Amino acid sequence: MKICTRQICFIMLAYTAVSKIIIYPTFLSSLCGRDLWFPALFSFAVQAVVVWAISYLCSRTDKTLFQLIEGTLGNICARIVYGLFGLFFILGTIMPLSEQKLYTHAIFYDTVPSLLVFLPFFMFSVYAASKKFTNIGRSADICLPLFVLSLLFLLVMSLWEVHWDNFLPAFKTPAKDLFGGSLATAYLFFEPCWLLMFMGHFKYNKWDATKITASYIGGGLLVMLILFIYYGIYGEAAVSRQFAISKISLFFPAIDLLGRIDLVALYVLEVVMLFAVVLNIQLAVHCFAECTGWQNRAALSAIVNGVLLVLIIVLDSKYNSLSQVFGKWLWIVFLLFATVVPLLSWAMKRRAK
Amino acid sequence: MIKKLSVIIYWAIIIALIGLFFTNDFGLVDIRKTSIIVAVGVDTQDGEVQVTAQLAVPQPAENGENIQYTQVQGSGITVADALNEINSKTGFYPKLLFCKLILIGEECRKEELFKVLSCFYRRNYSELTAYVAMCKGKASDMLAMPATVDPETASAIQQVLSVELEKSANVSSVNLKDIAETNFSKSAACYMPFIEANKPGTSQNGGNGDSVGGDAAEGSSGSSGGGQSETSGGGSQGGGSQGGGSGSGSGSSAQSGEPVEFTARRTVIFADGKYAGILDESQSFALDVLKNDLRLAVMPFDSDGIHYTIGMKNAKSSIKLKVNNSVPELTMSFKAKAQIQGKKKTLDPKDVPTDDAVKETVLKDAEKELENRLSNLVEICKETGCDLLGARNLLYKHNNKYYDAFKDDLLTRMKVNYKIDIQSAN
Amino acid sequence: MVTLEKNIKGIKDVLTSQDIIVFEFQSSAGKKFAAIYADGIADKQLLGELVVKPLREVGRDAKLEEVKLLLASPEVKDCKKIKDGITEVSDGNAVLFVDGEKDFFVIGLKNPPGRSVAEPPTQVTLKGPREGFTEDIKVNLGLVRKRLKSEKLHIKMLKSGQRSDTAVALIYLDDVVKKGLPEEVEKRIADNEIDLIPDSSYIAQFISGSPKSLFKRNGTSEKPDIFCAKVCEGRVGIIVDGSPIALTVPYILTEDLQTAEDYYSVSYRSTILRILRVFSLMVGMFLPAMYISAQLFKIQLIPFQLLLKISSSISGLPLSPSVEMFFTLFVLEVLNEASIRMPKYVGLALSVVGALVLGDTAVKAGIISTPAIIIVAFSAICLYTTPDLVETTSTLRWIFLIISGSIGPFGIVLFAAFIICYLVTEQSYGAPLLAPFAPVVKSDLYDSMVKANMKNLKDRPRSYGTQNKVRYKAK
Repeated sequence: MKICTRQICFIMLAYTAVSKIIIYPTFLSSLCGRDLWFPALFSFAVQAVVVWAISYLCSRTDKTLFQLIEGTLGNICARIVYGLFGLFFILGTIMPLSEQKLYTHAIFYDTVPSLLVFLPFFMFSVYAASKKFTNIGRSADICLPLFVLSLLFLLVMSLWEVHWDNFLPAFKTPAKDLFGGSLATAYLFFEPCWLLMFMGHFKYNKWDATKITASYIGGGLLVMLILFIYYGIYGEAAVSRQFAISKISLFFPAIDLLGRIDLVALYVLEVVMLFAVVLNIQLAVHCFAECTGWQNRAALSAIVNGVLLVLIIVLDSKYNSLSQVFGKWLWIVFLLFATVVPLLSWAMKRRAK
Repeated sequence: MIKKLSVIIYWAIIIALIGLFFTNDFGLVDIRKTSIIVAVGVDTQDGEVQVTAQLAVPQPAENGENIQYTQVQGSGITVADALNEINSKTGFYPKLLFCKLILIGEECRKEELFKVLSCFYRRNYSELTAYVAMCKGKASDMLAMPATVDPETASAIQQVLSVELEKSANVSSVNLKDIAETNFSKSAACYMPFIEANKPGTSQNGGNGDSVGGDAAEGSSGSSGGGQSETSGGGSQGGGSQGGGSGSGSGSSAQSGEPVEFTARRTVIFADGKYAGILDESQSFALDVLKNDLRLAVMPFDSDGIHYTIGMKNAKSSIKLKVNNSVPELTMSFKAKAQIQGKKKTLDPKDVPTDDAVKETVLKDAEKELENRLSNLVEICKETGCDLLGARNLLYKHNNKYYDAFKDDLLTRMKVNYKIDIQSAN
Repeated sequence: MVTLEKNIKGIKDVLTSQDIIVFEFQSSAGKKFAAIYADGIADKQLLGELVVKPLREVGRDAKLEEVKLLLASPEVKDCKKIKDGITEVSDGNAVLFVDGEKDFFVIGLKNPPGRSVAEPPTQVTLKGPREGFTEDIKVNLGLVRKRLKSEKLHIKMLKSGQRSDTAVALIYLDDVVKKGLPEEVEKRIADNEIDLIPDSSYIAQFISGSPKSLFKRNGTSEKPDIFCAKVCEGRVGIIVDGSPIALTVPYILTEDLQTAEDYYSVSYRSTILRILRVFSLMVGMFLPAMYISAQLFKIQLIPFQLLLKISSSISGLPLSPSVEMFFTLFVLEVLNEASIRMPKYVGLALSVVGALVLGDTAVKAGIISTPAIIIVAFSAICLYTTPDLVETTSTLRWIFLIISGSIGPFGIVLFAAFIICYLVTEQSYGAPLLAPFAPVVKSDLYDSMVKANMKNLKDRPRSYGTQNKVRYKAK
């Protein structure tokens, strides 16, 4: 087997968390104010159910998603679905990649640098995306301790500054805005699709569904904790503070003495963030490889990254418009691929284990 | 073919990186093209903003550091314009990353607070941890005054705003984030220390402070500190342009190049982003006691005709608001252990074993003294309409259903309770 | 009847060199003999004592078997082909021809010049054995045998190098090593067709599988105690004649962070030292890069007071921060290279020139700054806490430096991610290079960054796929 349950759990925990701690907290606080935790809770709860459904499906079959579709609807249909998933992963990468670009400019440079400094990311991405599931899994093995140590460091530095009464009075935001907040940020929630791609590539053991779902919930809880800390520190000023994770530890007293030591933790965390973004590109390449039957992954990776590179250059400095489009219109696509399609996979013919 | 292409790409990357390495040209600003701004002074005059940046200018040094501090001024309609002018004057890109002090000139009280501060607050490349304070006279003058305790003026001013002093209730230090947080809260009130420059030996320590409050402070800024001398007040250098700037002590100090001492015993308060008044020392003390996590606060008072100075430690304070029978009640609690630090009476050798324990009557008088100070603070809040204690915020958060009904006249409507419990430490 | 002259001619026609000595002698009864050996690598005294002296008593009509019985040497081999005889003479042994006989004997007299067993200069320890391998394979095998007396210890002798015919020994514990591993190593050694193997590093390149990689695929050791411990963990050891550095495969990166002393000290201390080594390694690789990144792109990385000091130091320097660091690192590398290559008596002068003239004067002249020298010097010291990885890490330090000076701190993080991505799937004979971290091998974690107590190390490392998984059974 190419990947193991432990590695999937690590991915579900670490990559889920790091992909939602950059602009997500700011965006949510602008939509829902002090009730920002509710749309997050709702989104995570829904996705956790889907994650559990897919991981439970893994206990019922040892087939990959491609084989499941192929067995039920035929090879052509399977290829089409994988092609669509490939396109979906590219779509799903645009926002995280744009966030990454802004975030790297903010935490790595004192003044706003040229777009050029972010472009070497694609060199790394071309290489990483040409790798298979073994690489994804083992990268997660390395990323988890980095994630835990750096996040712990940042949380310890920030917890003492939190004013918990910033969340009072609770539930004053209209329900429409709360659920609207959840839909407007749906473009960041497609972890079930990751799991769907891993299906059949790992050996299912007893309790694995519980472990995977628990890891996802763990990742969700960490995001919620960061939301609480972030809003607890900044209160209503949170709306104007972007890149939440880089802002929460600024008030630690030792920073005056030692300088921005939190940046070291942020840089370590950035490594995990890079792998989390690249995972989507790796899965897009995997989908296109299955769809086309073309096994030259290096070439496929170059093509996918080329498309993303063009998109990033074209969409440079259009982040706000992008988030409007994704939040207002494209949530339906994410809902379809991250919730409906995964649940539909239960309808496929599966061989009993 | 692919192998050949990859080799070409490989070499192209290496050459590009080496090229960039030796040219360093991403249009970025490196350490040698940057001025390290350690403090910023903001003054306003005739609708124009004048920004004075205190720069650390490194000088070549074989061993250790050799820093000279200099001031550069820029002016414009906004702070950002002024900073841009500094850039154009010096050729340095002004980075505020190390700016730990934003000093606002007295004249700025005529302006909306966040008209002055918003540039610092909005910039992603300035720190929210920078201390903010208002100074007597012009900020540019104060930053130019030589200090007795530190060769660098900004550093000397930061020393009087330090956390240590805050924990002894000597100063109400705030940073940019604190101000934004309180100013944009439902209470819409904030405060900052008022820095004054005094000739060595002329500043008044302790004491009950004057009773100047509210707008009255504007015209009498030199008469602080319970009979504090007029000369210790701040006037501005070169004629002083601040409203009613009557003093000239510090101005002459600066002119004559004599070192000065800085104090921050009084506190400027703002309501709805506008200047509301200055708290005297006793009111500032009360505010500090309520807002800060005290380590050891010293309070002088009289009991039985004897002057005592007690140190209060293990202090716990809180402000709570409840609505009972449609009456909002603000409860200020303070609990501490007290120890006699000084007593204006010769100690009888027979009393030595028992002198450490503070007598019950003295403790009661101490409680009364603190209650007086707190009630003074509440009074000035009511007078100026500045919700410094965050009552509206508490109402909104904890008794939200009454918020709309009470928010407009909460300060005058609310009943204030004081729960002060000072016990002997020994 | 084969005459003695004909046999001698058979060898001398091929080995025409003048150091090939033909020593002809006869017994008291008149039987003729000829011993041929290479001067300098065969022991002449032994030849006299063990061969010539006993053969004085041989009768004129004595047969080959009778001659053999009289030979006092413990290492006597019958030989039929002149070609084999030539090989043995080249190898340092002697051949003994008997007049009238076609067959001959090979007498083991090999005694090439070499140094005695001494403490290796690169793996000095305070605690534990001080013996180190020498250039003589026989001595080295003896040092291994001395420690591993198991009947399961297999030593397979191979030859490598078409012209050098260098002896290579594969050493492994038959019941522990992963099945098929010795054969795979043997095949890779046999597959190389190079003419000379002067050192084990040549073999290392042939057996690595990824010769172009910056990261090596085999462990090295100069100490027999470490070597034996590695063999006991299920690795195959390779000793090459003429090299004091033995190789071991499979290899994982973690093993270079471990030292022999870790196992001879208290586990807490060993753990602290291992963490210190990892930390030093990171500092050594990243510090120069981060320093110029901080100056060029992210000043906030430097604490304010330090920034003032640095600013003072670099004020007025003619070089940009990146070029200054490049130059300083370049000087360090040159000094390092020169100090290793230069004769010892010049070394002292070099230190003076390097430290005083280049360092102090350059600072005084305002060409480079003091912090740059401190950063580079500290980085160099940090890297030498793991000497086995210095080649890799100092190369990486250059790459990180170039990247940070061109792209900035993001480039450093990006390249670090690239290295992780590359390393996680790299293997050495089936053992993942980053094991036991990627993939996580729980039991092996006890002897990785942390060094657990010996009681917790009951199992052999799982990363190598050993047959026998238990190191010891607790009673």
